[in-house]
Amino acid sequence: MVTNTSNGGASSLGLRKPRRFDPNDKRIIPGLLITPVQILLIVMLIFPFVLEFVISLTEWQPIYGDFWDAFNSVFTQKINQGISYNYLVTDEPRYLQALGRTVIMSVISLCLEFVIGLGLASLFLKKFWGKRVWFTALLTPMMIMPVVVGYTWFMLFQYNGPINQVFGWIAFSPVNFKWLNDATLAFIAVIVTEVWHWTPLFFLIMLSGLNAVPENPIRAATVLGASNFKIFWTIILPNMKAVIIIAFVIRGMEVVKLFDEIYLLTRGGPGTATETISLYLYKLAFEDFRLAYAGSAAFIVLIITVVLINMMLKPIRYQLVEGR
Amino acid sequence: MPDAKFTPFNMLALLAGLIFAIFPIFWMVSTSFKLRSEWVTSPPTWVSSAPTVDNYLTILAPQILLDRRGGTQQHGDEGFGGGKDDAAGGAIADFLNRSAWPGIKGSVIISISATILSIVVGLMAAISISRYRFGGNFTPFFILAGRMFPPIAIAIPFVIMFGPGIFDITDTYFGLIVAYAAVTVPFSTWMLKSFVDELPQEIEEAAMMDGYSRWRAHATVTVPLIKGGIIATTLFIFILNWSEFLFALVLTYTNVQTIPVTLNKYFSATEGTLYGVQAALAMVSIIPLIIVGFFIQKHLVRGLTLGAIKR
Repeated sequence: MVTNTSNGGASSLGLRKPRRFDPNDKRIIPGLLITPVQILLIVMLIFPFVLEFVISLTEWQPIYGDFWDAFNSVFTQKINQGISYNYLVTDEPRYLQALGRTVIMSVISLCLEFVIGLGLASLFLKKFWGKRVWFTALLTPMMIMPVVVGYTWFMLFQYNGPINQVFGWIAFSPVNFKWLNDATLAFIAVIVTEVWHWTPLFFLIMLSGLNAVPENPIRAATVLGASNFKIFWTIILPNMKAVIIIAFVIRGMEVVKLFDEIYLLTRGGPGTATETISLYLYKLAFEDFRLAYAGSAAFIVLIITVVLINMMLKPIRYQLVEGR
Repeated sequence: MPDAKFTPFNMLALLAGLIFAIFPIFWMVSTSFKLRSEWVTSPPTWVSSAPTVDNYLTILAPQILLDRRGGTQQHGDEGFGGGKDDAAGGAIADFLNRSAWPGIKGSVIISISATILSIVVGLMAAISISRYRFGGNFTPFFILAGRMFPPIAIAIPFVIMFGPGIFDITDTYFGLIVAYAAVTVPFSTWMLKSFVDELPQEIEEAAMMDGYSRWRAHATVTVPLIKGGIIATTLFIFILNWSEFLFALVLTYTNVQTIPVTLNKYFSATEGTLYGVQAALAMVSIIPLIIVGFFIQKHLVRGLTLGAIKR
């Protein structure tokens, strides 16, 4: 029994401390439990991370042959090191544009998702017929996979698709928006798709936030004659601050990765109008096969995202770790 | 504001939201049953005049369509160029011996294996973090780092790493399973951690007092008690794995296929876009997701917010 749980008792009794490895030791078991995930992440995350940095110092491309030669050349020869990084920042406007575009796209879609999600959530505080069914229906877009979302909106945004038809009804004359062939319209199309896909998540988070707002201050304010807007601004919003931050951070983490929908919808086109950073990296690496160059671009992105996301996580770090 | 009335204006807003949410899904369902001639019309066809299942047959049982057209020897355009209303008309001919089954098989194998791997690994890590505070704040956020990277940035070194010379697992099930598990393990760890957190530690301590070892207490007390949470997490991770597109796109060629990649292949067909067939495949691929999602509806928000929001 004693040896089975802890060795503490044995040494205090002056007995010889058992030297053998005891997997039930309180100091050993957490390490053992975490080992598989550490191995998985070191092999699949840290190693690629280092590898990416090393190849980004070369000019290797698949057609140049064996990867290891390029790998060794980093350590043996002193040429070309960091040339990709210089080039990226000074001579590649597409890269910086893609970064900027990703940020703009993310901010616009997150704000729209927030407003629509909060609006719908506030409706669901009231009583009405068929609430559960409508609730499930509103959540459906979230469960559909990104590729199918991209494809569905590709159908809808066709030149002769239903969206133009509906706009035509509203305008009383045929409308011929070339959604996916016009720079601005394509940008809007991507945002609409993204908003459609992820508003349900904001809706869910906001609903749980609204439900947690205490009722008594609201009743008191109503009795004292506060307007609805005043109640919302001074009672509901401050109470939901934590939830709103969580929603923005978590969605912000995901939205900068946006790839699948755009890939199916516009492939970054027309031109580079909807080319987000993921699309740009994909084109560099898997259409131009400039793997080393793409590696250096990706490495910068990795650094930026990790730093930014850690900054964004700071306010909710405690809540995430404690979790109760 | 629980006492507020549901005004007609609210009703309009709800209706608008519902139409926005449902219309694209309706359109996909409708397109998947359309005849070939109705795929691209001006003005668009909303509901097919003669619904057909040929689109589904093309991806699931092309043999039936082939038999209907008189067998493979006529495979070509000469015999039936005029059959415009036949969903298996000219353009599809090339797809008739390329059903979606390899993709479905690949998706099922990879998603299920990766989910199991991710859950087992994640559950162990979750117990370690939640019960023993392993690594303080650092380890949980180190695990989360896997979710912070844009997948494309990590896919570039994957291509080199999986290629010949290092691991040599490009275009194998194993390679994709490990890659998928690595990107979903942050979610499984964090979501399971939130479930373990909710379980009072005293229950395990009681079991240990009764003579269970720590491992046995975790395995026979903790795990069964958070069974519901584990099932919800498993289904949630399954959704994530089933939807994964980028890794399958860059790490597979011909041996291994998944549904998203198959869908993309029908998409880039040189014969023209096969709207109905793609819509049918999209339907087939999202039906499991919607069923699974319906079951774990109340846990979705917990999963997607890494356990920060419980309801």
